Amino acid sequence: MTKTIDFIGKRKIFFTIALCIIGVALICSFVFGVKMDVQFSGGTIATYSYTGDLSADEVKAAVKDAVGKESSIQEQQDASGNKNVVITVASKLNVDETAGLTKALQEKFADNSLEVMQMNTVDPTIGGEFLAKSLFALLLAAVLIIIYVAIRFRKIGGLSAGVMGVLTLCNDMLVVFAVFVIFRIPLNDNFIAVELMILGYSINDTIIIYDRIRENRRLLGPKVPIRELVNKSITQSFARSINTSVTTALAIGTVCVISLIFNISSIVTFAFPMLIGVAYGAFSSLCICGSLWVSWQEHKVKKVEKAKLENKKSKKK
Amino acid sequence: MKRVGKPVFFIVLALILAFSYLSFFGVSSQVADTKQVYVKGVNDIRWGIDIRGGVDVVFTPPADTKATEEQMNAAEAVIKQRLVAQNITDHEIYTDYNNQRIIVRYPWKDEEQIQHAEDAVKELGATAELTFREGAEVDETTGAPTGTTESTIILTGADVKEATVQINTQTNEPGVSLELNDSGKDKFSEATTRLASSKGTISIWMDNTMISAPTVQTAITDGKASITGNFTVESAKALADKINGGALPFSLNVESFSTISPTLGMGARDAMILAMAIAFLLVAAYLIVFYRIPGLVASISLLAILAGSVAAVSGFLPFIPSFTLTLPGIAGIVLTIGIGADANIITAERIKEELRVGKTIDGAIDAGFSRAFSAILDGNVTVILVSIVLMGAFGPPSSIFAKILTPVFFMFGPSTAGSIYSFGYTLLVGVIMNLVFGVLCSRLMLKSLSKWGPFRKESLYRRVRNDQND
Repeated sequence: MTKTIDFIGKRKIFFTIALCIIGVALICSFVFGVKMDVQFSGGTIATYSYTGDLSADEVKAAVKDAVGKESSIQEQQDASGNKNVVITVASKLNVDETAGLTKALQEKFADNSLEVMQMNTVDPTIGGEFLAKSLFALLLAAVLIIIYVAIRFRKIGGLSAGVMGVLTLCNDMLVVFAVFVIFRIPLNDNFIAVELMILGYSINDTIIIYDRIRENRRLLGPKVPIRELVNKSITQSFARSINTSVTTALAIGTVCVISLIFNISSIVTFAFPMLIGVAYGAFSSLCICGSLWVSWQEHKVKKVEKAKLENKKSKKK
Repeated sequence: MKRVGKPVFFIVLALILAFSYLSFFGVSSQVADTKQVYVKGVNDIRWGIDIRGGVDVVFTPPADTKATEEQMNAAEAVIKQRLVAQNITDHEIYTDYNNQRIIVRYPWKDEEQIQHAEDAVKELGATAELTFREGAEVDETTGAPTGTTESTIILTGADVKEATVQINTQTNEPGVSLELNDSGKDKFSEATTRLASSKGTISIWMDNTMISAPTVQTAITDGKASITGNFTVESAKALADKINGGALPFSLNVESFSTISPTLGMGARDAMILAMAIAFLLVAAYLIVFYRIPGLVASISLLAILAGSVAAVSGFLPFIPSFTLTLPGIAGIVLTIGIGADANIITAERIKEELRVGKTIDGAIDAGFSRAFSAILDGNVTVILVSIVLMGAFGPPSSIFAKILTPVFFMFGPSTAGSIYSFGYTLLVGVIMNLVFGVLCSRLMLKSLSKWGPFRKESLYRRVRNDQND
């Protein structure tokens, strides 16, 4: 590579993009509302396969008759024409109620040959506990990663490298969150798994760049200004970063496309956000993390200079 | 690395191909109905509930009962017995003492069962207390025992040593024959002696349902009793199993319950395996196009990693027990393909650079591998960290990872998300395979291949431009 691309110089653009994403994520979560899957919120989801036609309103009424609760109905169809109806009830039903519901629906819609595909009922306490545990797991993973980066890169200011890395990761995770919110995917254990995965994966690109910075620092000496050092390092790592992200994206993308075709919603809601996360992660590692770190280091240098200046002034007095 | 000979490439290639074949297809022989498996392949993988279909239940004792640890253990043992009696050997049970929960997970045997999931679950959680009571006084409306029948319990399930199905030789009717233990023998002997004179009744109850109410003809001192009535062979066996399984110390409520149909899952599994194959081909193609020889070597390594991951899951390798593979688990294997490619890309890029700087082919390859290794290690360590957290958070409390992370997760009960556990596992295995195969195999193969004359052209390792002023 002949020219060193000035990533740091363009950082304002990158920061703006990142902030916009954060903004979009927050606005969407207020506008659309954040949906939680029954795994976290508690409640019941029943999926029945059926033939022929079903009216969502009739199903809703039948559910009300059977268990006395409000429900939301969703109809799905996959590529081969198999139809499913998904009934969501906000509260937990006990085993008698779910059996009763199935029976009532099968009787009422006898012509549609309803069959149980999936039945899931969760008590809200368990759900809440599970959510708390999952969020905690995220926090734990983030902390472990900061510690690891800080130790590995202590020679170039490990802690700041770790913190900037994790800040970039938080940005990545918000993007994943935004995907869930914008596409109205209820947050479930898939969400946590994807977030954890992005945490572990995205930091790779960042580590590669830090590794380069560390090596270049050794090769070029301490006098080279930090901006140039980082630019050079990122430029050198560019091809590798893009290519690894492409291969991972190819792998996940295939899963995503196949599961879309076969209508495996549990995998689509897993693979698609991950795909977006990996793609954005590549961008953020290259453009945002390095820039953040440079900004931080330059700010530190400025502070030291300012303090020196103040010292001089006070000495002069 | 010391000098690697030319044939090494082919040896490694052959080994990888053989390993892959064995790992995917296994070795088994079929004699009539029985299949003898010598080496496990993909078909022997234990699929998760989300693929095979099955039930996932969380039981709790009734709200006002504070169960002791012994009682929880007893309950767990009884449930285990009940599952085994129904020939459900492939089940998982976890007991959470802190939050008073028992989590049970087992697969369906056939499609029919899912339609009656709730019944099966209720059976599992029923107290199943067998009682022999004096008289047969029943409350008309509730069917519950009243009067003497309620107050006088002659025998309970604890007095029964064993229950077996017995077919009456004269009437050909199935029934359940009970053998009582010593304490039961005495109690029964006392009661029957007393009641025989007045031709009283002893009613037999399972929980709050009367199953039989025979008249006492004579005193029974040999400790053998039988329950007859409207039984079929199946219902007699079910009752015998129930009695043998023992009673739960309390009735269990279902706190949460999840069941999934096999059709939904199996279709998904096949789709995912297809995705895995396509992903592999796409990534291999990309690698070969962009990185030529190192790319080819990378693709062969990827095959090895894939085979290794499958082997680790199926129980092929004797030191790695088989593991339940769920849909996210398969996704983890696919993801590993992407991550595995990374290690090889890092190395290939490094080799490119070294060549650009002017090293010889051999020198560049050596330098490339050694310099790239620290970066590969770092990248993979973070994924290992994440997969450990995943496994600790979403796996059973008895797993090593959960134990390691207990100081952190102690305030949370065991979660019910089994499928993500498999994802953490395949990720971890994939990364370890990557560190072992991705690096070692690639190194051996590339060094060996580069010894061949026609493969020593620099253009096969990187794009050589005419204007060489990099």
